[in-house]
Amino acid sequence: MGLGGNMESGSLPRFMLEVFLVNCCLGLVSSLYFHMTEGEQKCFIEEIPADTVVVGDYWTQLYDEQKREYLPATRNLTLSVAARTPTDELILSHKETKGRFNFTSFTSGEHKICLQPSLSQPLSAGFIVVVCMDIRSGERTNNYTEIQKRELLTQLQLRVRRLSAQVHDIHKELIYSRSREKNFLVINHNVNMWIYWWPIIRSVFVVTFIIHITNSC
Amino acid sequence: MEPVRMVLCLLSVFISLVSDRLVVLASFSQATDSDFTFSLPAGRKECFYQTMKKEASLEIEYQVLDGAGLDVDFSISSPSGQLLFSDQRKSDGVHTVETHEDGDYVFCFDNTFSSISEKLVFFELILDNMDQEEDPDNWKEHIIGTDSLDMKLEDIMDTINNVKSRLGKSVQIQTLLRAFEARDRNLQESNFDRVNFWSVVNLFVMMVVSAVQVYLVRLLFEDKRKIRT
Repeated sequence: MGLGGNMESGSLPRFMLEVFLVNCCLGLVSSLYFHMTEGEQKCFIEEIPADTVVVGDYWTQLYDEQKREYLPATRNLTLSVAARTPTDELILSHKETKGRFNFTSFTSGEHKICLQPSLSQPLSAGFIVVVCMDIRSGERTNNYTEIQKRELLTQLQLRVRRLSAQVHDIHKELIYSRSREKNFLVINHNVNMWIYWWPIIRSVFVVTFIIHITNSC
Repeated sequence: MEPVRMVLCLLSVFISLVSDRLVVLASFSQATDSDFTFSLPAGRKECFYQTMKKEASLEIEYQVLDGAGLDVDFSISSPSGQLLFSDQRKSDGVHTVETHEDGDYVFCFDNTFSSISEKLVFFELILDNMDQEEDPDNWKEHIIGTDSLDMKLEDIMDTINNVKSRLGKSVQIQTLLRAFEARDRNLQESNFDRVNFWSVVNLFVMMVVSAVQVYLVRLLFEDKRKIRT
């Protein structure tokens, strides 16, 4: 799709600009991209409640910094995606040039999604890996065109369905935030206990020690 | 939440009764948002690129969730290399960019001033590409049947649009609150670790010092006894 634009990258600056726009992140809703070098690992953290679907789309390409152009897509470049639960268990491992990964969270908490590019041949200097990434969770993973086709809904029904899913998501997030507040209060309480009782314990210890010593001498 | 869901269910039932009369409705508005939380290692600068069209708006909100000092440098540049905003060592910030040119806008988080502490940064991008293609009033042409439904359907559409935009805002605020809470929790957890550690150290130091003092005082007394006898 965008490869035709790649090959024809001419010298006209306006055409180059279109190449830039058309090039990466085709077909992805969000066109946020970043640079990576070989062997570098980047991790994104998703804090989500339990039983939430997380879907991510990614697209990688090599970019030549000196010539300022994208290289044609090769199979040599793969991006390995690893998703971990809050307790550092591996729940997903993918390794492709571009594609989509999804997983459902079992427990609520901070899930880590780590990306690492790898090439079959080592990368020469002046080349960087461009990665387009889009991670969505909860209601935003629903494919509404598919739902509409499957259940034969009209536009208005579809919109109401979407609103209902949004409300459901908000409700789940509120429940999760309540449990986080509880944990936060426990930590707070522990800190306060230490700060409050420690000087008292220390003073009592010192006083009994002095009494014991003066009695024994 | 229950009454809202009831209202939405009733709405969808009502609409399913009249839905065969409606063909085309307004498309969803083009505002999209995405949020990311990532860890920025010490001494590193991470840049993100976002492709934008002309005459759109890009709002970025960021917050530092963890890491000593809770601050990071931030900068946004336009596709032509002009620096639009720059923040030095702030712990959170929000910027809106009105785009005047097509291209890739760069925003960077800079942790080069810190050599030991890794920062956890959260940022949220809210894009608003202002290209509304379809005419929202198109559906009126396609309605056949009782005319009294016209006004009611228009009201329903307005209500639904209203609810949708409010829910969108609620989701954004919720994401922000979650980031605030995460930062406070991280801060408090590191406080707890610090208090724990230094209290135990305090305990040991106290024991050692008291033992040494007792030993020294005993030493003095023994000398005195020797002198007497």
